Amino acid sequence: MIITRSWLSEFVDLDRISDEDIYKTLNAIGLEVDSMRRYLVPKGVVVGEIQSCSKHPNADKLNVCTIDIGTKQPVQIVCGAANVVNAKFVAVATIGTKMGDDFEIKPAVLREVESFGMVCSASELGLPELNEGILILDDSIGELVPGKSLNDYPAIADTIIELELTANRGDALSIRGVARDLSVALKRKLMGFDFKPHAVEKDLRIDDVATVDMKDYLDADLSYTLATCKDVHNNLLIQIRLAFAGIEPRGKLDSLLQYTTHSTGVILKGYKAEVFKDAKNTVAIELSSRQKGIVEVLANDRVVSVLGVNQTPESIADDETIKVVIEASYIHPKLLVDAVSGSDIVTDNLYYNTSRGSEPELALGINYIIKLLEDNTSVRFVNGTLDIRSKQKPITLEMSSREICDIIGMEIPKKEIIRILKALEFTIDERKGDSFICTVPFFKQEVTNIYDITEEIVRIVGIDNIPPKPLNFTEVAYLNGATTQHQARKIIRNRCVGATFSEVLTYAFSDATKLAQYGFVAIKEELRLLNPIIDTLDTLRTTMMINLLEIVQKNINYNKKSLALFEIGAIFDENRKEREVISFIFSGAVAKESIINIAKPAPIDFASFVNKLANAIGKFELVPTTTQNGLIHPYQSADIIIEGKVAGYLSRLHPSVQEDFDLYDTFIAQIDFDAITPKHINARKISNYQGTYKDLSVVVDEKISLKPLMDSIAQLNILLLQDYYVIDIYQDEALGSNKSVTIRFFIQSMEKTLQDGEIEMLMQQILAKLHESHGALLR
Amino acid sequence: MKALEEKIIDASSLEALEKVRVEVFGKKGILTQEFAKLKDVPPAEKKDFAQNLNTLKEQLQALFDTHYATIKKLEIEQMLESQKIDVSLYSNISNKGSLHPLVETMDKIIDYFVALNFSVEVGPMVEDDFHNFEALNLPKNHPARDMQDTFFFADGKLLRTHTSPVQIHTMKKQQPPIRMIAPGCVFRRDYDITHTPMFNQIEGLVVDQKGVVSFANLKSILTDFLKYMFGDVDVRFRPSFFPFTEPSAEVDISCIFCKGEGCRVCSQTGWLEVLGCGIVDSNVFEAVGYKDVSGYAFGLGIERFAMLLHQIPDLRSLYEGDMRLLEQFR
Repeated sequence: MIITRSWLSEFVDLDRISDEDIYKTLNAIGLEVDSMRRYLVPKGVVVGEIQSCSKHPNADKLNVCTIDIGTKQPVQIVCGAANVVNAKFVAVATIGTKMGDDFEIKPAVLREVESFGMVCSASELGLPELNEGILILDDSIGELVPGKSLNDYPAIADTIIELELTANRGDALSIRGVARDLSVALKRKLMGFDFKPHAVEKDLRIDDVATVDMKDYLDADLSYTLATCKDVHNNLLIQIRLAFAGIEPRGKLDSLLQYTTHSTGVILKGYKAEVFKDAKNTVAIELSSRQKGIVEVLANDRVVSVLGVNQTPESIADDETIKVVIEASYIHPKLLVDAVSGSDIVTDNLYYNTSRGSEPELALGINYIIKLLEDNTSVRFVNGTLDIRSKQKPITLEMSSREICDIIGMEIPKKEIIRILKALEFTIDERKGDSFICTVPFFKQEVTNIYDITEEIVRIVGIDNIPPKPLNFTEVAYLNGATTQHQARKIIRNRCVGATFSEVLTYAFSDATKLAQYGFVAIKEELRLLNPIIDTLDTLRTTMMINLLEIVQKNINYNKKSLALFEIGAIFDENRKEREVISFIFSGAVAKESIINIAKPAPIDFASFVNKLANAIGKFELVPTTTQNGLIHPYQSADIIIEGKVAGYLSRLHPSVQEDFDLYDTFIAQIDFDAITPKHINARKISNYQGTYKDLSVVVDEKISLKPLMDSIAQLNILLLQDYYVIDIYQDEALGSNKSVTIRFFIQSMEKTLQDGEIEMLMQQILAKLHESHGALLR
Repeated sequence: MKALEEKIIDASSLEALEKVRVEVFGKKGILTQEFAKLKDVPPAEKKDFAQNLNTLKEQLQALFDTHYATIKKLEIEQMLESQKIDVSLYSNISNKGSLHPLVETMDKIIDYFVALNFSVEVGPMVEDDFHNFEALNLPKNHPARDMQDTFFFADGKLLRTHTSPVQIHTMKKQQPPIRMIAPGCVFRRDYDITHTPMFNQIEGLVVDQKGVVSFANLKSILTDFLKYMFGDVDVRFRPSFFPFTEPSAEVDISCIFCKGEGCRVCSQTGWLEVLGCGIVDSNVFEAVGYKDVSGYAFGLGIERFAMLLHQIPDLRSLYEGDMRLLEQFR
């Protein structure tokens, strides 16, 4: 929404109010200023009155003009524009005028004819381009005095303000609408529009030549008038203001209609009257509303427009049309939007206004266009208008100033609240005490409750004038699951960082093709994402591994040789149920090259990866994996067991995937986040007696994995066994298809120092068990 | 005597000194031999002889001890010197990982509100129309509900476009008073230099009895919060519009780069828009069945905070795992 200072001042007195004040006030009252720019034409450009104009003796396309520029003698200027021939008043850049950084107007000789100045086009003056050729001035911008600086005309040297209006401010979609708010904030009166049309055929009443027939009840207000136009003209003021506002009319009549709508907010349309003429030569307008919110205008049973939505091109009155039906309309935006959304009705550029709420005071628009036509056209109107009024009732709200003050948190006297509301054109019926009844004007379609009323007050009082006040509240212990989860995430993240992993975040989307390629589940067809933003993010992710692999790949391209990453976030299952996991990826060298590893860090291997992972997430057991996806290395992968449950998996990256992404040796892991949240710990009793370390080396079949071996020791349930773990595995030719496993035991009693004999017995017991269960023999 | 003293002083290492010790004080040493002579001394001279000898021994022992300490100290010093290393070689060889600046910023925000007795609440990313729009006073066809912005699923569900549905979930399962924040990722169909299809928000909501919670309270907490985040900045509230709050405001801070003078980051305005807030619209309370309550709500984009706080130039780099950026946050 673009407004100009001079245009605004037609509706509110801006005398002695600076542009800066306007800028601040608009922002303060919720009409956000997007940009503000003052137009100034070059100093030295003045009004010139052409006294004579003749063809250049030596050049076909040039004219030699004598122009009064307020000096004693008129000056001679050679001009190349064709339209100078019929011009009277023009903009003249006088000698010495700087038209740009390196262009100064100097006396010149053009094909042997002297020229003392330049007749300017709009674009040469830095104004929007209005027409081909030079800018032709008329008195719509004020009295034209030869020699008067163009910058002294407020309509030319105007300030253009672009507002970024929020969706609830349909009432501010016109110059008058903005002026109405501004007038309240600046405490200046909104100027009325007092106008009596005089080009009216007193004896020809509109009823005599036109009829309106309603087929259904209409939720709309309408007003029709009939004009006979000749020589439609639009003056410079209208042209330049429309150009400043970025409005591009289709013709002169259209420019008058659009100018009226932009000025007043009333939606106007012009029809060729002939399309409505019936057999009796009467302009017969039919209105129909088969659906709530959709009001059709019919001419001879054919739809020529839908109110607030569109109009058929054939029915649009143009500059050649003599008999014009002018229609002002209003329809409640909610009704309109509900009906239009989801339908396939084509909407025109006015729908932006009608869908947010146009001005319901139709007489304002009708009178304004009548005045414009009278000023710019030889026009005659028939007497009166044909009006339709919907049964829409104004909203009335009962409230008290106390409630409003409580919402704002500041004391504002009832008197002031009432003053503001009245100025904003609310009707107030004061009641006893602090209460009152407030009737909402039709143009404030969004106001439906006390909060909306409070908003009006806050805007005008000024949000910055509300003193901040801390809230007194009731203490409640809010340490719920989500809060604890947040704390846990913080702890785990810091541990991961200590274990050399860096945190990344990726999108919750992934590439469905890649997920399928690497054997991850797809979200069910009936739950799929309908409108992905790009092909490579076309589904919710069922793993974050693909995203992490892509990140690693990209960073290798940035010359990174070692990457350790983790992400905590959601992944989804085939039923689109979300679950929080933590994923790890380690690719390349185990550490950065440094003095410690003499610039030759080893590549990451299974043991180092598991070690780093354990430093990050704590204790876990590994068993051969049951997880299946295309990233997993079948012989270097494991399920991660935490507290007896499978919590995730880890694996070396499958070599063919490593090749696909062009990576170094890479390891991956994914663990359910819930499984690693820090647990409550109770202290164990500590023994004060001497403990003993004992190593036991046994020979078993090489196919036996360590897990069952250790499990069978656990089955013995020996209390004295405080700890035991494998420290070596050895194989050589002499052992054949067997391997030697060395297990270290820590044996300690809570009650006494153990005798050698007791320890020996214990070791025998363990050996016997391993022999019995796995055929293990002492090495 | 002089000769013995010289022997001790001449010893230049602990090893040599040990030899002298044996030679002088040892079982077969010179002093022992001198003491052995005592038996041959006439009784009248015995006392003097012994006394002299003892004095001599004491003097020699004292000399020995002092010299021993000197040599010992010297040797330790030599050993220390031989163990000298260039410590500067070991600067910055950490392999510590880095924390993501976005998550760190989110945590910093959460910490503030948790310290002010707010609970942390969460909700699902896949939402229904009611929680994401309808209950938040965004009825179907509302202009603020732009179809282009929302990701939809085949079954009619959608990806939440803001964290506000968490307000609705929380209000439906709890009764006032409510003091909550809802951090989390949200989704909009936008992808360019200043938009990513996923981003993070924090939403705040306070609900209490009617007449208790006011706009002035909102101004108070947000002004304090923004000073906590950005230091000594000016805070400005501008009236705005959000469907779920009324009155609504956008909140700006004075530009932290140019101190309000006007620069490229603040588009020469001197102000940076950082959050939106307002008094909860009664339609929202109606949708969750609350009566006679008052409340405020606010919401902010964490990316913007992180980018401003850490001077990160490109939004998209936050989600693309560019370690050239992220590694700096060690």
